[in-house]
Amino acid sequence: MTGLKKISVLALALLMVVTSVFAQGTREDASASGKVELTVLNYIDMSEPNSANEIKMVWDKFEEENPDIKLVREDLFNEPFHQKTEAYVASGQLPDVLYMWPSGRSTSLHTTHSVKDLMPFLEKDGLVDDYNPATIAPQFAGYLAELPNGITTTHMLYVNAKVLRENGFDIPKSYDEMKAMVKPLKAKGIDLIAMDNMDAWVMQSCLFSMVVGRYGGVDWYDQLSSGKIDFTDDWFVKSLALIDDMYRSGMINRNSLSSPYGSSRGSFASGKAAFYIDGDWSTASFQTDITTGKALISPESQQKDFELMVIPNLPGEVIKNSNSGVVGTGWGMSANIPAGSAKEAAAWRLIKYLQGEYVQTYRLTTGASFPSNLKVDVEKVVEERNLEPFIAKRAAYYAAYTPITPVIDGVLHSDVYNVINTGLQEIGLGDKSPTQVASEVQKAWDSWKKNQ
Amino acid sequence: MPKAHTLADAKREQRRAYWTLVLPGFLVYISVMAFPTIFSIFLSLSDYSGGKLFGGKPVHLVGFKWYQNLFADEYFYLALKNNMWIVLVSVFGQIPLGFFLAYVLYRGIVKFADFFQTMIYLPTVISTVVIGILWKSFFAPYGAFPELVRLFNPQYEYGISNHPMLPVLFVILWMYTGMYLIIFIANLQKIDSAVIEAARIDGATEGQTLRYIILPALSGVLVTTAILAISGSLKSFDLIFVMTAGGPANRTSVLSIYMFDKAFKGAPRYPLANAISTVMVIISFVLIGLTKWAESKFGGRE
Repeated sequence: MTGLKKISVLALALLMVVTSVFAQGTREDASASGKVELTVLNYIDMSEPNSANEIKMVWDKFEEENPDIKLVREDLFNEPFHQKTEAYVASGQLPDVLYMWPSGRSTSLHTTHSVKDLMPFLEKDGLVDDYNPATIAPQFAGYLAELPNGITTTHMLYVNAKVLRENGFDIPKSYDEMKAMVKPLKAKGIDLIAMDNMDAWVMQSCLFSMVVGRYGGVDWYDQLSSGKIDFTDDWFVKSLALIDDMYRSGMINRNSLSSPYGSSRGSFASGKAAFYIDGDWSTASFQTDITTGKALISPESQQKDFELMVIPNLPGEVIKNSNSGVVGTGWGMSANIPAGSAKEAAAWRLIKYLQGEYVQTYRLTTGASFPSNLKVDVEKVVEERNLEPFIAKRAAYYAAYTPITPVIDGVLHSDVYNVINTGLQEIGLGDKSPTQVASEVQKAWDSWKKNQ
Repeated sequence: MPKAHTLADAKREQRRAYWTLVLPGFLVYISVMAFPTIFSIFLSLSDYSGGKLFGGKPVHLVGFKWYQNLFADEYFYLALKNNMWIVLVSVFGQIPLGFFLAYVLYRGIVKFADFFQTMIYLPTVISTVVIGILWKSFFAPYGAFPELVRLFNPQYEYGISNHPMLPVLFVILWMYTGMYLIIFIANLQKIDSAVIEAARIDGATEGQTLRYIILPALSGVLVTTAILAISGSLKSFDLIFVMTAGGPANRTSVLSIYMFDKAFKGAPRYPLANAISTVMVIISFVLIGLTKWAESKFGGRE
């Protein structure tokens, strides 16, 4: 064979292999088998314990119980999830059922009314009374765009009490007491607070929103939107100054700005930091993985050595013990599905199931979320199933820290909260002062309001 | 009687053959290159806010509003500056280093040339996402880098430096040098070794051989690699997206990430994102034009 012939034969062979791979991969047509096919965009952190199990316990179970529905699920987490959602909205090709936020992070889904109002579905099935009324109030879109998991508090101070005890400290009662711990702990190579600030939303959602509530009061957003207060006023500048102080005093290490979200949980659990700041949802990441039996913090240790609280008394705060919270994330249905179709009925069946008693109880046992469905009796489930101490401690934490103030990316538009997010990181880098950031935020707010 | 072939017939046939050969490529070029570029310029001048283009909300032309917004944004200049850093590292880091390594291997100055060639090229074949995650955890506050430095200096405290781009630039240098190494080795092998030997017999030193024989022979390749490096640098996205996503506070952002953020982070700003991409195309043309000019002015002939 000549060289050219050899190459041609090789190229042909390669072509056949490649095409045969694609021939194998042809998708099965669901409608031909009489099934309704639903595309689902799911939000799941696969690095958390019990995530793999959730696929089996929640999703596989649904398909088993509903043989007439075929789910085509896409699992994403963190920024890639949000970016994919934006791309879907832009193209107008939404998945049938999708995980979403009640406001901020899902702004475009709400403003473009890309999802259906779920209230008529609840009413039709007589399910309205099954849900905590606060969780089914109208959302950013002006209606019930997603059926929420529950109520989420975005700030939680995880305390490693063992580290504190070993260094002669009690659980702190004020911000200043915490600040006083920085030097003695640092001398032993221990950070005061572990936090992952590489992703810009973390500081704003998990700490700053709570601080803004403490200085601005429960109704800061109402006052702001009615023009009674500005971002350049004392309440906001003071809040920014507190974050600045936390970085300057070493309470939060500036290195945290190069720490990817979730990466310092292990360091905190192993005692490299006395405190860890995240949202309430992260309790799940410390619990035992049912499949492997391993936990970042063992149940005994959860009981004895760890506490869940909020940052205590800030200097000059106008309300005490408050926390920042928002109606939880949940499931929405694409507005592209024709009303009254079999697909709509299937999508609603899935959403009902996902926020029904079975799934919400399961998610309570793994710590993934606290229920919005009133049929789930938290105390009873905790007692009967002998759940891990963090779940009982989490229930007590919800009762202890009130009032709940708004979360910034839950009430403000992304044009404004993105400026806050970046500004908080710039304060962290020491590049901008609180007053500078405050005036930039005010500018963004003014320009957003002008365009409304 | 059969009709005689006239000159006009021949020409017509030639034209038909020309179009038959050119048209498929031309159509592909129009549909995947020219049309999207022109359409992107159109979007950058419009008020399109997502959803269906035809039959959705009507789209209006709004002039250069988005370009004004762009040039008034401090983070645009930050991203542009970072892009220029990457161009510098690519053109004055990867290419000279790639050439140096290729020369060392080609001239047999070190042993185990095949082994080194494979090792240096290896990062190019690993998925960028894997490389990004690898180096992200290497440079993390509780990662291997601070631990390694502490072996030599126990007092060392890892701080977010004033140049958050440094780790990114280092990884870019590490990752892509191998590609230039291969290009240079392939072209060095094309140089007639008899010419080099003749030069050596005539008493030329290693340096003189390099200066008067090898470099002039490679000038075309140098320009090609420079164009590759510049266009590659301007569109660099994946590695930085995985390593830092442009953070903290956009300090490691580049134009492509800045564009992506405007399009997909928070409320979408598609016209602004398209304005950014148009600016990127213009910058690319200017830089490539400069390279071509430099070659015609200073380059040798192959």
